[in-house]
Amino acid sequence: MARLAVWLFLAPLLPGIINKVKAWVAGRRGPPVLQLYYDLARLWRKGVVVSTLASPGFIAGPAIAWVAVLAAALLLPLGPLGTSLSFRGDVILLIYLLALARFCTAWAALETGSAFEGMGAAREVSYAVLAEAAVITAVLTLSMQSGSVSLSAMLTPSVGPGAVLLAVGLFAVLLAENCRVPFDDPNTHLELTMIHEVMVLDHSGPPFAAVLHGAAMKLLLFSVLLVQAVLPIGELSVAAASGAMIGGVLLVTVAVGFTESLTARVAFRRVPLLLTTAFLLCVFALLIAWKGGAA
Amino acid sequence: MTMDWFIAGAVVMLVAAALSGARYPRVWLALTLAGTATLLAAAFWTLGGGAEWDWRSSFAVGGERMHLHLDALSAWFLALVAVVGGGGAVYARGYWPDDEHPTSAGRGRAWWSTLVLCMGLVLLCANGLHFLMAWEAFALSAYFLITLERERRETRAAGWLYLAASHAGTLGLFAFFSLLATKTGSWDLGPMHDHPELAPLFWVALFGFGVKAGMFPLHIWLPSAHANAPSHVSAIMSGVAIKMGLYGLVRFSGWLPLPSGAGWVVLALGATSAVLGAAFALAQNDLKRLLAYCSVENMGVILIGLGATLLGAANGDAAWGRLAMAGALLHVWNHGAFKALLFFGAGSVLHATGTREMSRLGGLWRAMPWTAGLFAFGSAAISALPPLNGFVSEWLVYLGLFDAAASHTRVAVAIVPATIALGVTGALALAAFVKASAVVFLGAPRTQTAAHAHECGWWMRAPMLALAGICACLAMAPAAVWPFVSRLLAAWRSAGNGGEPPVPLVTLGSMHLALAASLAVAAIALWFRARTNGVRRALTWDCGYAFPTARMQYTGGSFAALAVGWFGWVLRPERRLHWPRGPFPHHADFVERIPETVLEKVIGPVGDVVMAASAWARQRQQGRLPDYILYLVAALAAMGALVLFGSI
Repeated sequence: MARLAVWLFLAPLLPGIINKVKAWVAGRRGPPVLQLYYDLARLWRKGVVVSTLASPGFIAGPAIAWVAVLAAALLLPLGPLGTSLSFRGDVILLIYLLALARFCTAWAALETGSAFEGMGAAREVSYAVLAEAAVITAVLTLSMQSGSVSLSAMLTPSVGPGAVLLAVGLFAVLLAENCRVPFDDPNTHLELTMIHEVMVLDHSGPPFAAVLHGAAMKLLLFSVLLVQAVLPIGELSVAAASGAMIGGVLLVTVAVGFTESLTARVAFRRVPLLLTTAFLLCVFALLIAWKGGAA
Repeated sequence: MTMDWFIAGAVVMLVAAALSGARYPRVWLALTLAGTATLLAAAFWTLGGGAEWDWRSSFAVGGERMHLHLDALSAWFLALVAVVGGGGAVYARGYWPDDEHPTSAGRGRAWWSTLVLCMGLVLLCANGLHFLMAWEAFALSAYFLITLERERRETRAAGWLYLAASHAGTLGLFAFFSLLATKTGSWDLGPMHDHPELAPLFWVALFGFGVKAGMFPLHIWLPSAHANAPSHVSAIMSGVAIKMGLYGLVRFSGWLPLPSGAGWVVLALGATSAVLGAAFALAQNDLKRLLAYCSVENMGVILIGLGATLLGAANGDAAWGRLAMAGALLHVWNHGAFKALLFFGAGSVLHATGTREMSRLGGLWRAMPWTAGLFAFGSAAISALPPLNGFVSEWLVYLGLFDAAASHTRVAVAIVPATIALGVTGALALAAFVKASAVVFLGAPRTQTAAHAHECGWWMRAPMLALAGICACLAMAPAAVWPFVSRLLAAWRSAGNGGEPPVPLVTLGSMHLALAASLAVAAIALWFRARTNGVRRALTWDCGYAFPTARMQYTGGSFAALAVGWFGWVLRPERRLHWPRGPFPHHADFVERIPETVLEKVIGPVGDVVMAASAWARQRQQGRLPDYILYLVAALAAMGALVLFGSI
């Protein structure tokens, strides 16, 4: 229950923190940290405009994607709170639940028959190929280090020297999967420069609220995964672990904010290069883990 | 004793069906359904723990007494043959009826029952000679089914290519079985671990069975054959016939001693097939060709599992090897079910619109809601998405691979790239199926034929619903199939150290159930909330155009363009582009064709060289008798010299 509350109610805080950091770097005051909560409440009350071409899948898509992200989040151990359910191989279920969310978002994007969403969906599913390679390599590294395929066992031991490489690789994947600069700009609404933003262009009202909340949950999920893959949270006491977890997630969020402010979005032809670099970093972390185990 | 009656009854019913297919469609349907139901019962009885059935005949066929053997491994594949055979028979009644195809419908029915019968015989034969005879008969029946529509040039070409490739594989199998018979002294097949000299024969078997299974460099016949065949034939070919090749590989890898390096090679071939199959699938614009390449990809996934198993077997019969095999064999069933479902859906689209070309379709969900829904279900299943069955088998394969990687032995060198390849394949397959379902069913119709589509009848819908139901059962209750899979693994190769590690399938099954329930509840809740707030319909906003057309939609080619660019080194797309010119351009077009690279860029040139060489050799034939006598004398002299000097 506490876990569910954290995922549902604390997730929308993160985009607010990122926007505040970006505003501070730019010398502005920026929107309030709780802005996303107000937006979600407002959208939940609004009506929906649906294209004449869209099938019922257009409304079901965001719902299914939201439940998939929430289910993946509940599988992830949340520091001292642990996880609702842990079994051998749950990490693979997590990866494929995120894939289910991607399938439904891309499906809903192509429902309206608009060229813009098609563009975004095409880019999203193509870049996901490289992002998946990086994620699988990172998970393999964690599995090799701990000798287990279960998230609660994988994330608790402290990470060896490959921690830095893994951290950078996972951070790049976080930026790619959550449509952050330098892969994608969450602020512009120009179709030619977007991946995720343009896929949800035609959603409105409660489905759009589901989309925004799901995106926030996904950001929190990747941040928690990153923090737990790098810091030995499981070995600290409860109070220290909660402090480390909260501190770590805040650090990751502020880092995302700084990355968004200080770098520019790269041209689309360079995105595969960046993702391949992230993949190679994870491969090096894997090699370190393998050699460490063999020695 | 009862099993004798079951098998004999099934054979009799299928033979009767084949004979009555030409002129009595209702009798044929009843007999085929009864025959396949009997086969299914026999298979379930064996899988459920019944004793293995062994039968030797008193009469001889081709000089050898018949020896039929049904164990859990054969039963697993036999059940798949029965289900898809029966489902396809029902589908054919709606898809290929007598009034639309007066000449070929009867032939199709007869050959269908023959195909099911021959595939069953292949699975049952335990004698090398009869295995070959049944194999050849099955390949020929498939050829006649592929070329039912003989009037079309592409179908004839596809049939020829299939026959040529199939016979190349059968040649390999001839070599394999003959060598086996020579070395062991009899045509009988069974576990042969005490003959280490048989190990190199595995490579011959890999070639022969690999051609049929659609392994990467040997898959050249698969895309055109499965695309141009009638859809129910494509379903049984993709869902079942290629599994016969896999059955051969699995069976003989269990019965024969393995050469060192077998696991490495199979794993590498599997990973290549998976990634390149998925890339080719993403690039296709023909719906059935896309599905065919996806079969290559799924065969790659199964071969990854098999390769990991062979590696495990070579490394002291590791438990992770058997886990990977469990995943691979479960994937055989899962893939059979959802691939048949997808081909039936594609057949429904083809029946309604007359075209397989995705750029001419679109917006079909309105006219064909059942087909659209079931095709979407199949797409989610084949992309290995929870809570569906494709995920369960890939999850098992992943568990085996992860355990292998964590064992910190030398096999990790091959296992780690294979795991990454499996992850990349999943993402590519997801992209391919978003493209396939969205371009065909969503948006607006791109041509008039798509606008005038109609839903298929209940004869075509019922098998699709049955297959979807099977997928759902396998997804929600995977623990129920686990005892079958354990028996299967024991039949493959008896476990040295007590079998497979416990797998939390019950947890996975309950998670799937909970997930499916939450998904349904969430979708309905969101729909109701939207309805309460008020839903307004409007034209899709396309940058302010007042009258957007269907051609403004994203096309399948553009959707895949990014990934096709990355894989351009193997896909080699051929593009012909006429730019619009001037301020009022009157004509512009763009045609893109993805060739079958191995066929057109590798085998084609080699074939050209062979033809050129034989054209040169034909110059030696001038029709003059003295020349021919000279050739004969020269040949005799050469043979004499060979014998003389060979004996010294």
